[in-house]
Amino acid sequence: MIRSRVRPGDLIGIGTIGLRSRPGRTALTAIGIAIGIASMVAVLGISSSSKANLIAEIDSLGTNLLQVQGGQSILGDSSPLPVSSQTMIDRIPTVTSSASVIQLDTKVQRNRFEDEPNGLSVLAVGAGARETLELKIASGMLIEGKASSLPVVVLGSVAAERLGIGNVANGVTVSIAGHDFAVIGILNALPLNPDLDRSVLIGDQAAFELLGVDPNPTTIYLRVRPEKIEATRPLLARTASPMAPNEVQVSRPSDALEARAKVDEGLQKLLLGLGGVALVVGGVGVANVMVISVLERRGEIGLRRALGAKRGHIRSQFVIEAATLAGIGGLLGAGLGSVVTWGYATRQGWLVDIPVTGLAYGVGGALLIGAVAGLYPASKAARLDPAEAVRPHA
Amino acid sequence: MSVLRLEQVCRSYEANPPVKALDGIDLEVEAGEMLAIVGPSGSGKSTLLNVMGTLDRPTSGRVWVDGAETSGLSDAALSGLRAARLGFVFQGFHLMETVGVVDNVATGLLYQAIPKRQRRRRACEALTKVGLGDRLDAKPTQLSGGQRQRVAIARAIVADPALVLADEPTGNLDSATSGDIMKLFADLNQAGATIVVITHDNELADQLPRTVVMRDGQVVADRVKASDMVKVAGGES
Repeated sequence: MIRSRVRPGDLIGIGTIGLRSRPGRTALTAIGIAIGIASMVAVLGISSSSKANLIAEIDSLGTNLLQVQGGQSILGDSSPLPVSSQTMIDRIPTVTSSASVIQLDTKVQRNRFEDEPNGLSVLAVGAGARETLELKIASGMLIEGKASSLPVVVLGSVAAERLGIGNVANGVTVSIAGHDFAVIGILNALPLNPDLDRSVLIGDQAAFELLGVDPNPTTIYLRVRPEKIEATRPLLARTASPMAPNEVQVSRPSDALEARAKVDEGLQKLLLGLGGVALVVGGVGVANVMVISVLERRGEIGLRRALGAKRGHIRSQFVIEAATLAGIGGLLGAGLGSVVTWGYATRQGWLVDIPVTGLAYGVGGALLIGAVAGLYPASKAARLDPAEAVRPHA
Repeated sequence: MSVLRLEQVCRSYEANPPVKALDGIDLEVEAGEMLAIVGPSGSGKSTLLNVMGTLDRPTSGRVWVDGAETSGLSDAALSGLRAARLGFVFQGFHLMETVGVVDNVATGLLYQAIPKRQRRRRACEALTKVGLGDRLDAKPTQLSGGQRQRVAIARAIVADPALVLADEPTGNLDSATSGDIMKLFADLNQAGATIVVITHDNELADQLPRTVVMRDGQVVADRVKASDMVKVAGGES
């Protein structure tokens, strides 16, 4: 018995003949899928570019900054660190620099008559702050050396904005606990320590001498040799406060930034879901066009059956056609999504990170959706009665 | 040897009252024959062609194609039979407009898993046989109606089938072109092809050696021309 057979390569040719003979319709239908894939690729690409950028930012800031804070006692009172804690920490050989900060229980105002709450804190900083916190000055100078005992102040970037001070040229002053402090500098933003952006910094000697502040540090910042971070971290609480190590909190500011990189994932899932909806709508479009195509091509289906095509051959032809149609859309979408990612990331000044696996999944997913969308019209085509199909149209 | 045999073939359609498109047809076609099946519209000619071509199954009765009894065959097996042993020519040509004539004809070999190069070579040969050897590069849209039907005929004979079934092959053509097409069928028949032509045109049917006349789903006459009878008898002696 002679069997009806088609070479696999020919099946691809048969499956794309309908697309080749109607290029306009093919393009329009593929666009539906392309939009879905493009939006998904762009969502993945933009968020991974943003993440790559954040990680690069973290790396440039250094992940070796640690923060030691006095916590709360069992009774709930806040317990500052012992006066000796910075000296003790400095003795750990892996620590390369440190700076102590005392948070003052007072407010800063533009002048002594004002009493508006502004959410700014006043910090007294000791030596080593510039190096440890990598303070960069936007205008003016930092408090160093003898200035540490003078009534001068350096403003964090947000603090300067809230106090309405744009530059330090005109000898402006602010009022701290009833004393006038001359503004000598304004800091750049500190991505690792946003708390400092909302603070004003005075010298520790000035705090002790003019304001009578208690010398117990609130926070000690320290830099550690990068390869020794994990080894040093457990030593810090005990070193800073041997009497009450449980009340000491040790943290790493870069962790907060890394967490921010992960926070995006919720939004990303939502956007991916929207892209998925677009893709499904595109798939329905493919199914729709295929149903119409089967109706229009009754004659061709009848002819192929007369020439010896089995039902399975007709079914494969239309499934391949639908999958190819969607696959073209997938490729278009992957390209479009990459261009959007590139454009957006470039405009934001980010690193461009196009997700290659995302592209592969996008095109693969489109093929799959096309094949599924083609199943119903293809089986409709395969079930056509050949005698009916070859009959001339009425 | 007979390439086609129908025994008490009936085909009825469900309706109220049921429509009997074919009503007890007995017919035998020998290898090398050329005959016309003629009858008014609605006489069951097309249903008969579909049953002969295994595109449709009879409600009762039996059909043998090229020695194979078809009632026991699966749809896939019938497809294989059509691919290798049957050729079809339709009134509406059924050509793919966007594909060149060689590839249109080569489609006739597609479902036998023959390599493409070989399919195209045999398609060129078939096109030369139907007198289109000089139009191998053309697309169907560049051809006249008669030329298009020649392409369709080339597609029907490219697989060298045991039987060619033509359904109103001249229905869309003017009389001069129709004559050319019938001449082509006669030439192919002379070269050994077995051809059944379905037509409603008595004049055209009378040109053929054998005429089967249908009315209301039944064969009412089966005439063989005297000259051909002599020829057939002479050939057999």
